[in-house]
Amino acid sequence: MTNELLILCAAGMLVTAYLMVGQKALFTAIRLYGVQSLLLAIVGVTIAVADSRLELLVTAGLTVALKTILIPWFLMRVIDRIGIHREIEPFLNVPASLLVCVGLTVVGYRVSTGFPVAARGASHHLIGVALSMLLIGLFLMVTRKKAITQILALLTVENAVFLVAVGVTPGMPLIVELGISFDVILAVLILGVLVHRIVDRFESMDVSRLSKLKG
Amino acid sequence: MGSILAAGLTGAFAIRLVAIGVSLLLRGRPALCRFVSLAGSLVASAMTLRAALHVVRARGAVEGVLLHHAASGIEFGYQLTPLSAWFLLVLGVVAIPVTVYSAAYFTHAVSPRRTATVGMAFNSLLGAVELVFAAADVLTFLFAWELMTLATAILVATEHQERASRRAAYLYLVMSHVGTGCLVAGFFVVSAAAGSTSFATMFVGNLAEGSLRHALFALFFVGFGVKAGIVPLHVWLPEAHPAAPSSISALMSAVLVTAGVYGLVRVCAFGLGTPHVYWALACLLLGSVSAVLGVLYALTQTDIKRLLAYSTIENTGIIVLGLGAGMMAMAYGRGDLAAVAVAASLAHVLNHAAFKSLLFLGAGNVVAATGTRNIEELGGLLHRMPWTGLFFLTGAMAISGLPLLNGFVSEWLTFQALLFGFASTPGLMRLNFPLAGAMLALTTALAAACFVRAFGISFLARPRTRVADEAHEAPAIMLVPQAFLAVLCLALGLFPGAVLGAIGGSVVSLPGIQLQTSFARNPVSIVSGIPSFDYVVPALLGIAFAAALLVSWIVTTRQRFASRRAPTWGCGGELTASTEYTATAFSKPVMMIFRGVYRPTREVEALAEVSAYFPREVRYRARIEPTFERYVYGPIVRGVLKVAAGMKVLQAGSLHAYLAYVLLLTVALLLWLGGKT
Amino acid sequence: MSSPLFHAIGIALAAIVQVAAMLAVAPLLKTLIKKLKARLQNRQGPPLLQGYYDLAKLLRKEPVRSETASWIYVAGPRVYFAAALSATTLVPVWTASAPLESAGGILLLVGTLALGRFALATAALDTGSPFGGMGASRDMTIAALAEPALMLGLFTSALAAGSMNLGALVRGLVQQGPSYHPSDLLAFAGLLIIVVAETGRIPVDNPATHLELTMIHEAMVLEYAGPDLALVEWTAAVKELLYLTLLVDLFMPLGIATSLSPAALLISVVAWAAKVSMLAIVVTLIESMNAKLRLFRVPELVSTSLGLAFLALAIRFL
Repeated sequence: MTNELLILCAAGMLVTAYLMVGQKALFTAIRLYGVQSLLLAIVGVTIAVADSRLELLVTAGLTVALKTILIPWFLMRVIDRIGIHREIEPFLNVPASLLVCVGLTVVGYRVSTGFPVAARGASHHLIGVALSMLLIGLFLMVTRKKAITQILALLTVENAVFLVAVGVTPGMPLIVELGISFDVILAVLILGVLVHRIVDRFESMDVSRLSKLKG
Repeated sequence: MGSILAAGLTGAFAIRLVAIGVSLLLRGRPALCRFVSLAGSLVASAMTLRAALHVVRARGAVEGVLLHHAASGIEFGYQLTPLSAWFLLVLGVVAIPVTVYSAAYFTHAVSPRRTATVGMAFNSLLGAVELVFAAADVLTFLFAWELMTLATAILVATEHQERASRRAAYLYLVMSHVGTGCLVAGFFVVSAAAGSTSFATMFVGNLAEGSLRHALFALFFVGFGVKAGIVPLHVWLPEAHPAAPSSISALMSAVLVTAGVYGLVRVCAFGLGTPHVYWALACLLLGSVSAVLGVLYALTQTDIKRLLAYSTIENTGIIVLGLGAGMMAMAYGRGDLAAVAVAASLAHVLNHAAFKSLLFLGAGNVVAATGTRNIEELGGLLHRMPWTGLFFLTGAMAISGLPLLNGFVSEWLTFQALLFGFASTPGLMRLNFPLAGAMLALTTALAAACFVRAFGISFLARPRTRVADEAHEAPAIMLVPQAFLAVLCLALGLFPGAVLGAIGGSVVSLPGIQLQTSFARNPVSIVSGIPSFDYVVPALLGIAFAAALLVSWIVTTRQRFASRRAPTWGCGGELTASTEYTATAFSKPVMMIFRGVYRPTREVEALAEVSAYFPREVRYRARIEPTFERYVYGPIVRGVLKVAAGMKVLQAGSLHAYLAYVLLLTVALLLWLGGKT
Repeated sequence: MSSPLFHAIGIALAAIVQVAAMLAVAPLLKTLIKKLKARLQNRQGPPLLQGYYDLAKLLRKEPVRSETASWIYVAGPRVYFAAALSATTLVPVWTASAPLESAGGILLLVGTLALGRFALATAALDTGSPFGGMGASRDMTIAALAEPALMLGLFTSALAAGSMNLGALVRGLVQQGPSYHPSDLLAFAGLLIIVVAETGRIPVDNPATHLELTMIHEAMVLEYAGPDLALVEWTAAVKELLYLTLLVDLFMPLGIATSLSPAALLISVVAWAAKVSMLAIVVTLIESMNAKLRLFRVPELVSTSLGLAFLALAIRFL
């Protein structure tokens, strides 16, 4: 029962990642990120209940608070302030991007088979999904031009790593988790400020314009 | 006793650190700053010297820990093996007079603003070199090596407003880092094979086989050879030595180069197992070539410090030659002969340090008094600077390998080693020894010619320019260190047995060396260890020489009147400074004979106003081809720049491109590593 | 402890006797060569004692020295003289042991002569005259080129006899008896060329000229007068005798006294005189039958010598 729930949540996270790739509306992308984080929290709660690790409940609570509620709200405020609501044409069009993401998923799953079998049966799937999400996040960063999307991609990567940490390993010390969480908040805050700066200077969130700074 | 020694070395480093700190605090008061940093350096050098002397006499190693950081497990340890102690001895013997000299020299040569930096760099350099010799593991060694390089670069760039100084420092840094890169690579491989980073376990013997061993030798040889100045890795030496202040040049020649030699001896000759015959051959060949090329280039220099720099290359060649002979002996299993050859090499390290510092300090006096380094503008200095002239002459005679001084002793030993090499090596390989011996003889004689020129043109006859005419003798504090070094050269030449006793203590611990008991019989004689060969007692010759001088005095003082002074015969005309022989003219025969090496070009320009038959002025410019810079390093540098320009394409300046690199790399790594279970 | 003292006194006496004898005989050798050359040129030549007369004349004269010169100029001839004299103590002349053979061997000999040359060349630069510089430059260059060939030639003999110590070398050769290896002839030829170069004879240098283009050694000593010049000339003669004696020792040491009996010594002295005279004739013939080489042809000659020495080494030991 636990395993099926875990696999369902992991699959759901992967689906949100795919949908993010296919999205052009920034609001939706942010909401998708929120859903992804929620699913991550559910994974945490499931494992906490199954393995009676109560500190994971704290972790899940933190995830909900920060990543499902706080960060998406902050990002939406940034977009509101700037007034840009849609992604412009990426380097790779959507169908091609989706194809690449499929390929990356295959890579992720193939690599996950190389890992030694863990106690939990769902481990392979969790690792596979996590690796795929990591690669998809990187891919998003490479092909998208808007800074907000790139922030979201970074957060996706962070979610993937967190998934592995929570689902597969015996757990991280609480202080490490707190540290990571604060790192994430700070990163997002800074990136938010930077987005303002970029828009101020270039009148656009197009990050590829940064190459104009080359000397 | 061990604790006193431990206190010795650690105390020395502590004092240096304190001196650096205090001198940086005092940067606003140059005189005080200079005093503090140099006094601290002096005390530290003395302590290190004492520790080294003790180890040499006791013939056993001393170990200790300098710094231990428990949390990360990093430890800077030191181990004074007898070999290290010998090099520390050389360092101490040179560093103390140079420090005393610098106290006065830096008042002229270093501007007040730079005093703190120079004092700090001076202490860092000496401390780093001491640590290089005493290092017991890879981390300590590399840290000290890099610190030594950086400190020297700072000192070379003392006059950083001069373009030549900047260029010299830059060239030095680049070449040093290439060398250090090779060293790091070598250390990686050896410590991986040995499983530890401690020198004691890494360099004990055959840890690698076949082509890997050869590759390791090549890496270490290049790495240490850059510092030592072996041709073709020598191109930084003639640029860097003149750019630094004279006392620093003395340190660089005597000490920095010695660090490279230390590495060659410790690692290349004795650390990688029994040397292979080809390694010995490489050392012999490159040593001979360095020796001959060094002196040939020295003969054509008119900048006195460049001349001395090329002479350093020559002496490094002689040291490496001796080492090569020793390695060949070890390759054929003759440990007794190897002992003589390695002893010759180590003796020459000390002798070179002594007379080269003496010469550089003398050059420093001349530069401080006249403001010029060009010997063509000097002349007649002996009347105006009698003591400097006398000490410079002593150094010149020592470096020419004349008996009664120390250069002769180490060259005698090297010749003996080559002779043994011939006698003990089977087959055609033995022909390398007489060849090397012939080149060594050529080098010695050319060095004599070179220093007759250097001393004669600078100090004798009439002054060629006004600055030479107005020169004045250096203050006593600058003369005392030179006097000490000159007396040392004489003492080392007359009492070679004492030196060899010390060297015997240093080499006895090296693998493969069998020391004969007759090695250093008594202080005045040296035996080459094999009964059927030779011994020399320079002191006896000294007595005969003194007696013969007495005879000459007796024979010629029967006149009733004293000598009369008259103008030099000038074929009926008057001789002036412009009719004197020039340094360029002095070396012209050599330049003509060896024009294959020099490839000289010359331009002669006659400027005439009225008619071409009555030129007002004739300009003569001769240039020798910078062979290594143009034909070896030129293509290498161009190739590197071309590759770098090609790689510029990767630096697109686009964020997305960089992210794409990350993605590709991640995928590739995952596929490669994830495939393995 | 009287025995070491007697030993030391004995060595000192032997050295004094040998040096005095060499000093005494050297001018005779020089004049002999001059007279032989003159005879070959259909002239009478000087009387055989002319060398002594010249020295006595020079020693009586007032020393005139250059104004620009320093103590180096005065020290030069004296160091040159002393170096040559101390070098003679290292060479066995009439007995199969050199007085100071415990001081060193071949390398010390070469080094001591180099010391003398260094002093003279440096002193030559002290006068401020272009002749001095020119002579010093040329002399040091030729000496530098001659050194490798000298070393190789001496090495060959040393290796053959088993020691670089001249006394031991001669004793070894005498013990072996008269056996000649083809390499001996090659080494002899090579060393003979070097001896010609080092003593400044035609074809390398002309000892009788004072023309700027043709002088090497003479240019170095052009400024000396009176006792200084006497020392220089005497030393040149002693060096000539020394080199010829060295050749005798290395290649034809038979007849040398191996004991101190009067009969052996007499035979040794007579044999030595005969051999040195013969070599003097050879040198004279070389001088008379050749023209002086251009300065930049001398390296070719010296490299011939180097090749001969190398060949001797190779033939003997490979």
